[in-house]
Amino acid sequence: MSESSSAWDVIVLGGGAAGLVAAFHARQAGASVLVVNKGLVGRSGATITSGGGVSIAGQSLRALGLEADASDTEERFLQDTIVAGSWLNDQQLVESMVTGVGEEVGRLVDWGIKFTINRRAPGHSSGRGIHVSGVDMQRALTRIAVQAGVSFREDFQSTQLLRRGAEVVGVLGLDRRTGAVDSLYGHSTVIATGGATSNWSLRTAPEELSGEGQRMAVEAGATLIDMEMTQFLPCCLAAPAIWRGLQFPWILGPQSGVHAWLMNRFGERFMARWDPTRMELATRDMVSAACATEVYEGRGSPNGGVYLSWKHLPNDIIDHFPSMSRNISADWQWEGFDMTPLVERIKQGYAIEVAPAAHFSLGGVRVDRGTHTGVPGLFACGEATGAMHGANRLSGNAGAQVLVQGRVAGLAAAHDARQRRARDRLADNHGAAFSATVAPFEKRDGIAPFELKEQLSQLAETSLGPVRTAESIAQAQTALADLKNSALPQLACRTRDLMWNRDWSDALECQAAFTVLESALLGAAGREHSIGAHQRHDHKATYSGPLTHSLIRFDAGKLVRHTTPVAFPFLARP
Amino acid sequence: MLMHLTLFRDGELRPLDIQLPPPAGLGLGIDSWEGASVSTALQYAQRVFEPNLGYSLSCRRGLCKLCAMRIDGEVKLACTVPLHDGIRIEPAKPKLALHDTVVELSLVREKPKRIKPGRTLEQTAQPQ
Ligand SMILES: Cc1cc2nc3c(=O)[nH]c(=O)nc-3n(C[C@H](O)[C@H](O)[C@H](O)COP(=O)(O)OP(=O)(O)OC[C@H]3O[C@@H](n4cnc5c(N)ncnc54)[C@H](O)[C@@H]3O)c2cc1C
Ligand code: FES
Repeated sequence: MSESSSAWDVIVLGGGAAGLVAAFHARQAGASVLVVNKGLVGRSGATITSGGGVSIAGQSLRALGLEADASDTEERFLQDTIVAGSWLNDQQLVESMVTGVGEEVGRLVDWGIKFTINRRAPGHSSGRGIHVSGVDMQRALTRIAVQAGVSFREDFQSTQLLRRGAEVVGVLGLDRRTGAVDSLYGHSTVIATGGATSNWSLRTAPEELSGEGQRMAVEAGATLIDMEMTQFLPCCLAAPAIWRGLQFPWILGPQSGVHAWLMNRFGERFMARWDPTRMELATRDMVSAACATEVYEGRGSPNGGVYLSWKHLPNDIIDHFPSMSRNISADWQWEGFDMTPLVERIKQGYAIEVAPAAHFSLGGVRVDRGTHTGVPGLFACGEATGAMHGANRLSGNAGAQVLVQGRVAGLAAAHDARQRRARDRLADNHGAAFSATVAPFEKRDGIAPFELKEQLSQLAETSLGPVRTAESIAQAQTALADLKNSALPQLACRTRDLMWNRDWSDALECQAAFTVLESALLGAAGREHSIGAHQRHDHKATYSGPLTHSLIRFDAGKLVRHTTPVAFPFLARP
Repeated sequence: MLMHLTLFRDGELRPLDIQLPPPAGLGLGIDSWEGASVSTALQYAQRVFEPNLGYSLSCRRGLCKLCAMRIDGEVKLACTVPLHDGIRIEPAKPKLALHDTVVELSLVREKPKRIKPGRTLEQTAQPQ
């Protein structure tokens, strides 16, 4: 278990779109760059699974010489984003995204990345944006980073930031291939580890997004913002297991503007209680909240969801759907699956049981528009950060976010590394960081990590779904504190194998889960009103009081909640 | 439900048969294993029977291709293939096998032939 002594200029944690864009720009600015990724680069993270939207104002597309809606200005894009976010967005971040994405899309054009221009963009006031499939985006960015001379360390699960005083000087983690716990030194470090949605049991997102970036950042002195905000995608499949978390019904329905009907077990179209005009085509935060409320109030389907029905529509509308879709083939192949059996069932008149699935982390590491975290030597970008989208994210806005913040972070880190190069960089927390990471491996008897992981994801489902109550939050806080004392220190690996030791990785993911869930529960308990993704069943009334951000910091070994008022520098709240 | 695994361990291929219990009540949302993917079965097997069992999984939707394995003789994505009794599961390519069903699928790793003798893979990933 070695400690290497040479240092990189910039270490980027995470090789999704945000991390690769950051790495590319840092390298272009002359820095030596290492991308550290938990899985394989180009084969992990949410970017690959993206439906492919990238929001950009029509005006910005026209400036690039492309055909688009001229009336769609950056101001409208900003306004749509903030209204959809229920005014909880950090407007500085939004402004930087809407004004910066034009240049980034221009770069995609220069790189020869193929895309189409949207005509319809759910939730936006214009058909704004472009479409690049997540697979194509990830593949192109991987190639571009390789060509730029970025180096990679794959299957490396970073677990602890190395520090000297208050500065971050690198990262320590587990090499899953060999079982080595290695330290990597860098003058500047960029967190681009994505969201924390893997902590929920029903989710659209991939396996590895457990929130280690968020945990490492807060422990190093950064702030987490609005961690109670998780976006749920409505109308996902909960069963059978092979299709769990797929948003196919949402795509075949409301997302595409198809008027499928949501019903509870009494056949009632409950959306009428939430948005009698738009009904099922309301924003995704509202549809998710409505579905979860039906279940919470005892009107759900047998498997804990609600029904989505196409029965009132002629079968032709379904038959013609694939010809209108960019992602579904004529024979109903979608992503890796043949969806024909489900479509046949729909055409026979059956409803499909659907439920909201954890989709996107709206909260995360607090950054300013320069992607600074406030900790010397530490930057963050992409879904790992928080407050860009406020209480609800519009479609395609994550695509814009990762491109813009990725570039800002890469350039900022390269610049910062130049200032920092001369400094002494030996970590003073190496011992503690190393011990925390090997602890579960060294323990022989105790609790199998997957058991705790399951318990934690159940806890997330019951207390941090789209609908919350003071009671369920308080119960979860007590249960989590108990598990932290009783189970976390007892985690043990059942095997001594160093290579690909899944128990060990699972145990390290549990460490992150505690920080993610505790922060989210602190935020959720403190936010005693309903807003966007955070619906308090015990505070249902529309809220127009003062808005604050929930801030979580690590004080004397404990996570503590503070608040700060939301600022409105670009668009005044009505 | 019987699975015939061929696993790459310590430089050789070894057979391992695993008999899965009925899935009802295991929290998988299925009454029969046919409703689950090979990946779900491997995940379950690692948890309950074989803590060493190595498998790769990320997107669970056929996009990242990380879970490629040889299933009943053909290379397929384990997360998209439904289980059936007597299924045969092997590494996608024995030559690329790293551990159990995990094979080398890196898109960015330097090819070993480009590395000078005496340098390990780790040393090549130093700052340039
Ligand atoms: C199904 C789905 C569809 C979506 N569709 C859209 C869409 O149409 N439009 C849109 O705008 N957004 C969409 N999103 C959201 C968008 O895809 C993501 O927000 C975005 O891709 C995040 O990019 P990222 O680079 O920040 O993180 P990711 O792409 O998730 O990358 C994070 C990387 O960090 C690595 N990592 C994690 N932990 C560690 C660690 N401890 N050490 C080292 N590495 C680590 C992971 O392996 C991963 O490779 C969708 C998301 C999902 C799940
Ligand atoms: S896990 Fe991504 S293709 Fe199977």
